[in-house]
Amino acid sequence: MSVQDNEKILLMGNPNVGKSVFFTELTGIHAVSSNYAGTTVNFMEGDFKVNKINEQGNQSEKKYSLIDVPGTYSLNPSSPAEAVAAEFVEKGARAVICVLDASNLERNLCLALEIQKHNIPTIYALNLADVASRRGITINIPLLEKELGAPVVSTIAVKKEGIDELRTRLEEVLIQEDPGKYVATALRGGCASCPANRQCKQGDGQGGNRNTWSSAKEIARRVIKTNESHLNPGFIDKLGESTMKPFPGIPIAIVVMAALIGVVVGGGEALRELLLLPLVNEVIVPFFHRLFSSWLSIPEGVFLNILVGDYGIFKISFEWIIALILPYVFLFYVAFSFLEDSGYLPRISVLFDNVMRKLGVQGGGLLYAIMGFGCAVPAIIGTRAATTRKERLVMTAAICFAVPCISQTAALISLTAVFSWWMMPALALLGIFLFILSALITGKLIMRNEKVEPLILEVPNLLLPEPKAYGKKLLVRMKHFMVEAEIPMMFAIVIAAVLKESGVLESVAKVAEPLVSSWLGMPKEAVIGLLLGVIRREMSVAPLLELGLEPLQAFIGGAVSLMYLPCLSVFGILVKEFKLKVAVIISVSTIFTALFVGGLINHAARIFI
Amino acid sequence: MNEYISLYGTKKSDRKREYIIVSVPDDGLLKNLGIRDEVRVRVLNRYVFGGPVLLRVEDAYTVAIGKDIAKQIMVSEIAPKTLVTSKKSREAVSTI
Repeated sequence: MSVQDNEKILLMGNPNVGKSVFFTELTGIHAVSSNYAGTTVNFMEGDFKVNKINEQGNQSEKKYSLIDVPGTYSLNPSSPAEAVAAEFVEKGARAVICVLDASNLERNLCLALEIQKHNIPTIYALNLADVASRRGITINIPLLEKELGAPVVSTIAVKKEGIDELRTRLEEVLIQEDPGKYVATALRGGCASCPANRQCKQGDGQGGNRNTWSSAKEIARRVIKTNESHLNPGFIDKLGESTMKPFPGIPIAIVVMAALIGVVVGGGEALRELLLLPLVNEVIVPFFHRLFSSWLSIPEGVFLNILVGDYGIFKISFEWIIALILPYVFLFYVAFSFLEDSGYLPRISVLFDNVMRKLGVQGGGLLYAIMGFGCAVPAIIGTRAATTRKERLVMTAAICFAVPCISQTAALISLTAVFSWWMMPALALLGIFLFILSALITGKLIMRNEKVEPLILEVPNLLLPEPKAYGKKLLVRMKHFMVEAEIPMMFAIVIAAVLKESGVLESVAKVAEPLVSSWLGMPKEAVIGLLLGVIRREMSVAPLLELGLEPLQAFIGGAVSLMYLPCLSVFGILVKEFKLKVAVIISVSTIFTALFVGGLINHAARIFI
Repeated sequence: MNEYISLYGTKKSDRKREYIIVSVPDDGLLKNLGIRDEVRVRVLNRYVFGGPVLLRVEDAYTVAIGKDIAKQIMVSEIAPKTLVTSKKSREAVSTI
């Protein structure tokens, strides 16, 4: 075992048992999200520090790396996420913190017993103790400790109960010179024939599993006492059940979606009008104007215009990024992260599985579309969890063709809001129509005989998100957005400023006039949207804001942008996740469709006007 | 005593009825989720237009299972009278 392996502490457990809350509590704020090469999942890694006192009485600090392993039901992986977890255990670690769901002990014990076979010192956190006691379940902890042969700490992680004890017990395990002392031993008795447990792994086929299950069942039977009179579900449990019945579940789902849009669009607009636009227009932009023209005394001319002209870098970067995009992005993640943490989203997968199936994907497909409404990149990465490649391609194509990202939506709202209220709903309907159409067409084009795999999905209990974990997730997402999205956006803005202020744009516009003006019916300067849209989606809309368009032109601009090429980052992720060929096909066909449909709308509408 | 029926053929959303699984198709995820022989389930919902079946497993957690697989899972109804406590239901199971 290498030194590096010794440093690791694995935080493991079934999905949704609260591992990440433990992670936050034990590591503090130094969590970084890493991309584990070639798999579906991000795992988190953070520092866990232990003060050691050696024989001379000197205190020293030892740092371990605590890893939030993706949730898994079993070490016999049935999905790529679970394969990651299995791999971590294979590689070995200094210790494992195995989080068990007290309200669902039996199945959790299966995983615990599987982990035991790997001879890693283990400590158990019996979490969700409050949920269990609400359901009248009492667990005999001393007996469970004896059965598992390792420390068990009862916890309610979201309320920080038991965390300190867990930390102390973990430190005891880490300080031990002989790690073997804490190797959990539940299976040793049953495995008397082999001297080293490690050898059990070799016979670990289905038969081995059956043993694990019956042992888990047996242990659960011995330690659990159920008081049936306590079986009164609370309000949230009841709500959780209603959200899964077709009625009122489907109306609730529609209200939730409407609320999501309401929060993002309404709240974003309010933030923009009341706070951010005044801030940008009256404080930030005048400041930079004064900075460059008066204090640095840059003479009037092209260079000054590139900096602070109508299209200047220091003008539009603040106008577009801060006042236009940021409020919507922020509010989208506020609402979406809340839904994610509450456990509501899997309910949508179940409720709409039958409808989505007709489009050639499982119910979960709808979640990728909602995610894509934030940004297509995580949505396309998320489709890795889809069961078949066909399903991945269908959802990816539908997202690229018809789901605008939140920045683009923000720009579209600003573009259409000036004209009339019906324009945005009309664009949304067009988007839904295109979504269905592109999913169906992609499904027909590729592997048409492949059936949609049946859904198998655990639906978690509904719960109120824990504020700290929720806030942190939001912070990480916004930070990520700032780095991943703002940099290409700045890049696009610099190009826009240079093209426009140097006069190059004029000549390009002349060349593109037949397409932009005659076919699409837009002013020829609109070509800048098509150019910049390649870099970032909202950049295909934002420049149109300044052109003083007619209503029809605004609608066509919006429609073209909706369908137009997904941005460079999306192209990059398409190449990475699929193949260059797939990326090129999707990009070329989106551009073609966008221009073709945009022109059709133009010419059709002009017949009537 | 009791007849075996497919999980999809059970009465729609009657959570008072409890079933015991007698056979499950070979599927890794299904097994990992604890949908195995001798496990008790209740049917919470069954969705129209080929939607999934929603199960409460061992009165502890909820799993949705698509129609095509649910059809292949065979269950047997546990007589309601023996359902006073979970322990008794286990005894009832062993007598089937």
